Amino acid sequence: MSAVKHSQAMHFQARAGEKVRNPVLQRALQKAKPLFVGKRAKGVAALADDGLDFELLRTTCEGIRNRTLADLDVWLDIFEERAKATGAEVLWARDGDEVSQLVVDIARRHGVTKAAKSKSMLSEEAHLNEALAAAGIRPVETDLGEYIVQLAGETPSHIIAPAVHKTIEEVEALFAKEHGRPIETRTSADIPAMTQEARAVLRQHFLTAEMGISGANFLIAETGTAALVTNEGNGRMVTTLPKVHVVVTGIEKIVPTLEDFATLMRLLPRSATGQSISNYVSLLTGTKQPGDQDGPDKTVFILVDNGRANLLGSAYQDMLRCIRCGACMNHCPVYFSLGGHAYGWVYPGPMGSVLTPLYTGIENALDLPHASTGCNQCGSVCPVRIPLPTLMHRLREEQVERGLRPWSERLALKTWAWIAGKPLLYRWLTRRAARYLSWLADGEGRIRILGLAPEWTAGRDLPVAGGQTFHELYAARKRA
Amino acid sequence: MRLALYVTCLVDLMRPSVGFAALRLLESAGCAVVVPEGQTCCGQPAWSAGNKVLAADLAKKAIAELEGYDYVVIPSGSCTDQIRNVYPQLFAADAHWGPRSRAIAERTYELTTFLADVLKLPSALAEFDGSVTYHDSCKGLRGLGIKRQPRELLMKVNGLSLKEMTDCEECCGFGGAFSVKFGDVSTRIVDRKCDSIAAAGADAVVGGDLGCLMNIEGRLRRRGDETTRVLHIAEVLAGGGDS
Ligand code: SF4
Repeated sequence: MSAVKHSQAMHFQARAGEKVRNPVLQRALQKAKPLFVGKRAKGVAALADDGLDFELLRTTCEGIRNRTLADLDVWLDIFEERAKATGAEVLWARDGDEVSQLVVDIARRHGVTKAAKSKSMLSEEAHLNEALAAAGIRPVETDLGEYIVQLAGETPSHIIAPAVHKTIEEVEALFAKEHGRPIETRTSADIPAMTQEARAVLRQHFLTAEMGISGANFLIAETGTAALVTNEGNGRMVTTLPKVHVVVTGIEKIVPTLEDFATLMRLLPRSATGQSISNYVSLLTGTKQPGDQDGPDKTVFILVDNGRANLLGSAYQDMLRCIRCGACMNHCPVYFSLGGHAYGWVYPGPMGSVLTPLYTGIENALDLPHASTGCNQCGSVCPVRIPLPTLMHRLREEQVERGLRPWSERLALKTWAWIAGKPLLYRWLTRRAARYLSWLADGEGRIRILGLAPEWTAGRDLPVAGGQTFHELYAARKRA
Repeated sequence: MRLALYVTCLVDLMRPSVGFAALRLLESAGCAVVVPEGQTCCGQPAWSAGNKVLAADLAKKAIAELEGYDYVVIPSGSCTDQIRNVYPQLFAADAHWGPRSRAIAERTYELTTFLADVLKLPSALAEFDGSVTYHDSCKGLRGLGIKRQPRELLMKVNGLSLKEMTDCEECCGFGGAFSVKFGDVSTRIVDRKCDSIAAAGADAVVGGDLGCLMNIEGRLRRRGDETTRVLHIAEVLAGGGDS
């Protein structure tokens, strides 16, 4: 229920308008898009240098994910057994509220006052930071992007680049304010210096936090291991320095073997950032053993359902293959016109347009499956071949079947279909419509405001031909 | 060879010249072209809104009208995609309409694919004095794999030079009902397309789908570009844009 309570996805349309008209946001997005797209293209092209074929690899990865999902319960059992054997604890949570409860309990038991976090989307689903703060525990995000949005009191707007919606100038002003430095000390945005500044602050947090909380990109069943893929090294600090480490992750993140993991890793970073491998790949197994230099005394895995099990065996099961690379949003013309916040929940872009209605209720996110031009740029880049437009379409069908579409839309479609079913009537009406449109047009054959589609003509002129339909002209020509 | 020309509802209502250009192209290549009389709408708007029942009704009507020809040719990737890829899906479990929809799907071609791959048009087509840039519309490109065919045909036009724009495969933001529902988002997307077109610096932007073209033309004009011509590829191949 917590998801529904907090989902803003119903307000997509209103937010979309606001985001389109925000010049600062537009500038930030305009800069980011070509970077993402270009880097992925290069990364994928470079596969050939290693003698690998992208399409073949995609098929393999799709297969790994499908095989896992086919026996998800079995792999989860194996994971639990192997993880316990390495000294870790394995807990299960049905929803976000249970996640928060479990984490707060663990924190209380270990006298935790501060938790250092490495990015975990599930903790966003669970609103874990709010729950921790309410329990008197300070959560500190340590991924630079997440750190920025946390300072700004916002939520991430992208799954791998959480602060992509912010300009450098905005971040600099934020740092100046939050780090207590006069903004004049730097006149131009200097990214390395800003990173250093954040690093100095974060180091203290790593050293003083009693608990580390992270997600996992994958859970590996055969070894009971959590795999963490990062570019900043903060993941390593969060998972090894504090005495307690809690991994919060979805049940679908499991893969059977280390080899499966290695295969998926060929596509994950390439699809996300174009890298052949990310800067840090941590494989975290068990707790600190006698003789180990570092590592947590206690490791807890919290495996979360929060709507995932419902998708198994459903028409939407394909969505569970998702490996959270972000490629779909990076190639989505709608995402890059709005940024992620317009989507109203944890997951933005095409994958969010599918996941949000499924996890928070179809009736709570009516616009999202329609927030797509149907261009299929997302489906054509997804490394595990999730047919995102097909899934969005299925959601649209379900909305229609459940009577959730507005009456005006239903009436318009019904009327159109009824007319189109009667050729003579259709011809007569289209002839009238052609006359009407050409009557509305100005001297240059354009309509500047069309009452029937005000949103359309708000941004464009509607070009209009000569006032006669093709079929009308064709019939006349045949008679002549 | 007897073929049916399917004139899309947008062409019928908004730009008949595209239909006549397609007709001229096919006839001058020696095809016996029929424009089936009862044709109206392929049902894509209903389908994309998620209304399977209405989409299936219109699909049955279209199938009944289009059967009995060697080929069906459509000057639109998007409507072709509907018939080729969606119709068989709509009737996958239907013993009566399933085979009929699959038979129609196999014989239905988008115009440039038909000209380039089926008719294999050999030599020079028309005259065009100037440069064009080609916009790959999404349904044609990613649904049907149309990429090479229009370019191959354009290269056969006398006097025409092709200036590719960056991001020619990027969506123009039309998306049918999308551009009506989310007008301002769509405007933002088509703005980026207009930027790419401007940067290419061609005399005309050419495409195979009237929806995209109306969207692009509408935005170009609103932005104050009065000179870049916006043409359907049928118009270019058949010579000019006036009929
Ligand atoms: S849906 Fe595909 S492209 Fe999008 S994040 Fe998931 S795996 Fe990546």
